[in-house]
Amino acid sequence: MKALTANRILAVLIAVLSLAYLYAAYQIPTFPIPRPIDSDAFPKVLGFVMLGLSVWLFFERPEGQEPAPSLSFGEQVRRWLPVVVTAIVIAIYAATLQSLGFVLSSFLLVAGLTWFYGYRRHFVNMAVALAVPLVLYLVMTRLMTIHLPRGILPF
Amino acid sequence: MEAFEYLLYGFSIALQPTNILYVFLGVFAGTLIGMLPGLGPISALALMIPITFAMNPASGLILMAGVYYGAIFGGSTSSILLNAPGVAGTVATSFDGFPLAKQGQAGKALALAAWSSFIGGTISVIGLMLIAPTLASFAVSFGPAEYFALMLLGLTAVVSLSERSLVKGLISAVFGIMVAIVGIDRQTGTQRYTFDSLHFLQGIDFLVVALGVFALAEVFVMLLQGRDAKGRAKQALGSLKLSRQEVKEIAGPVGRSSVQGFFVGVLPGAGATIASFLAYITEKRIAKDGHTFGKGNIKGVAAPEAANNAACGGSFVPLLTLGVPGSGSTAVLLGALLVMGVTPGPMMLEQRPDIFWGVIASMYIGNIFLLVLNLPLIPYIARILEIPRPMLLALIIVFCMIGVYGLKFTAFDLYLLLGFGLVGLLMRLNGFPLAPMILALILGDLMEENMRRALQISGGDWMIFLEKPISATLLGVAVLSLVIPPILRRIRAARAQAREEG
Repeated sequence: MKALTANRILAVLIAVLSLAYLYAAYQIPTFPIPRPIDSDAFPKVLGFVMLGLSVWLFFERPEGQEPAPSLSFGEQVRRWLPVVVTAIVIAIYAATLQSLGFVLSSFLLVAGLTWFYGYRRHFVNMAVALAVPLVLYLVMTRLMTIHLPRGILPF
Repeated sequence: MEAFEYLLYGFSIALQPTNILYVFLGVFAGTLIGMLPGLGPISALALMIPITFAMNPASGLILMAGVYYGAIFGGSTSSILLNAPGVAGTVATSFDGFPLAKQGQAGKALALAAWSSFIGGTISVIGLMLIAPTLASFAVSFGPAEYFALMLLGLTAVVSLSERSLVKGLISAVFGIMVAIVGIDRQTGTQRYTFDSLHFLQGIDFLVVALGVFALAEVFVMLLQGRDAKGRAKQALGSLKLSRQEVKEIAGPVGRSSVQGFFVGVLPGAGATIASFLAYITEKRIAKDGHTFGKGNIKGVAAPEAANNAACGGSFVPLLTLGVPGSGSTAVLLGALLVMGVTPGPMMLEQRPDIFWGVIASMYIGNIFLLVLNLPLIPYIARILEIPRPMLLALIIVFCMIGVYGLKFTAFDLYLLLGFGLVGLLMRLNGFPLAPMILALILGDLMEENMRRALQISGGDWMIFLEKPISATLLGVAVLSLVIPPILRRIRAARAQAREEG
């Protein structure tokens, strides 16, 4: 058996996290009035159960799992690039939503990602990326009175 | 007859113009989202929850229920046309649906699916109406110990039935509970796992997690699968009509599968997916022409479709009567109800009959809508499958963002959404089932509350869970549900090995 399967790496990671979780559970202050069971009991149970499960996962025989096809580093990068870029775009969206406003930032996100994912009919892309957020914005703010950030647009 | 009067009352609510509109909107949106490969009922529900924020609970649940059974219905369309089930519950439909479509009889397969779903759905609503009040009156006597045991059983059942690896399912469930208890402890006011941050004081909203680990993670998975994974070229639908002979042929399978599907749906953990496979296998075994299953037998479409819609109705039984969901999708429904300030459970029948009977009556209407919507309009609705994938992915991301932002209007939740999206991706890639996590997330708070109340009553004595007969039985079943499947698997493996060697 190989020493470091994906399961084992995850098992170690989960074990470390459950130790941290348990440490935090022991820091939970006790309630001034004594009660049969306090706020810390349930987290402690959870922490120990999770720790036990991570040990179980570490020693579990991988059943019928095929080894992932080994890709070269370049292929891996190419495969993961869309995910990474999307994650970064979402973070930027979160950071700029309040200042740019919902319609504008959503337009940029939809148009930009649609283009990045490989769609090349730019006119259609622009139209959809503008229309969908605009309609959503109007429905949410006017009909359902859910406030969305207006940003730099005048309405 | 009392139930009949209540049902009339329910119709008086469901037939209000706004509620009719919501049923229609729900089943329509559910059908559309369910049709998209990759997006199932859980994603559909999570994406639609923000719309219910401003609604009254009865209307909100009517809409969400429509989304749920609409999504199961919609999944059959992509199973048949693309062989790419949008929903796990319709995988069995593709076994015979797709071969039919390849033979140029896609229209017939779709019509079969529509009629079978309609009958399965309707039969299950009748079952729900008859069983739920009885179960609720039984559950009124449940105390905290019983509830805790029941929820634990719900969790272990989902874990044991969802995936191969037991330990991964359990880790997933414990993780869900861990996320659930972040925030201020409602019983003592103590802060737990808030890291002194204001954002965590009220806990992590389940919608952030649901949209993250389901909808957003699904986008990530589709991105990993590559850009060129495209839908199939258009094909002729063919006639949507069924002959009298065909109707006669499927009547038996549809009836059997509906009843069976309903009862499978009532069980915790088992849902549309298991019901549809079970129905498919059963019909294949008892049919005279069983060997043609998988090659485009109409019974192979009718049986799983009737079963999965019936199971969907059945899954409302534990949700509405016990307040304990038996599956990931009903867990999200429960979450939506809690947001609207309604706690389903045995008392709901008495305290909020408008919700209970309104939803049941709306399901009759919703099933008719589905039939009307799907039979004549299916060729047009199926065009959603032609939306270019890049654009679809980008739009799903925006829908996730609005849903999350509309909760508390903080950008912080958007980062959290991204985080859970990545966690969901990691879980998917490593074979961790997601349903136990989402169920645990929603049940976590309730489980802890009931556990502590039970211990409060017993003065800290843990034996209370074993001394009460109902709670002890439920806990016993919970343990068995975890222990038996691996043992069965081992026996089966040993037998197979013996056969190979012998």
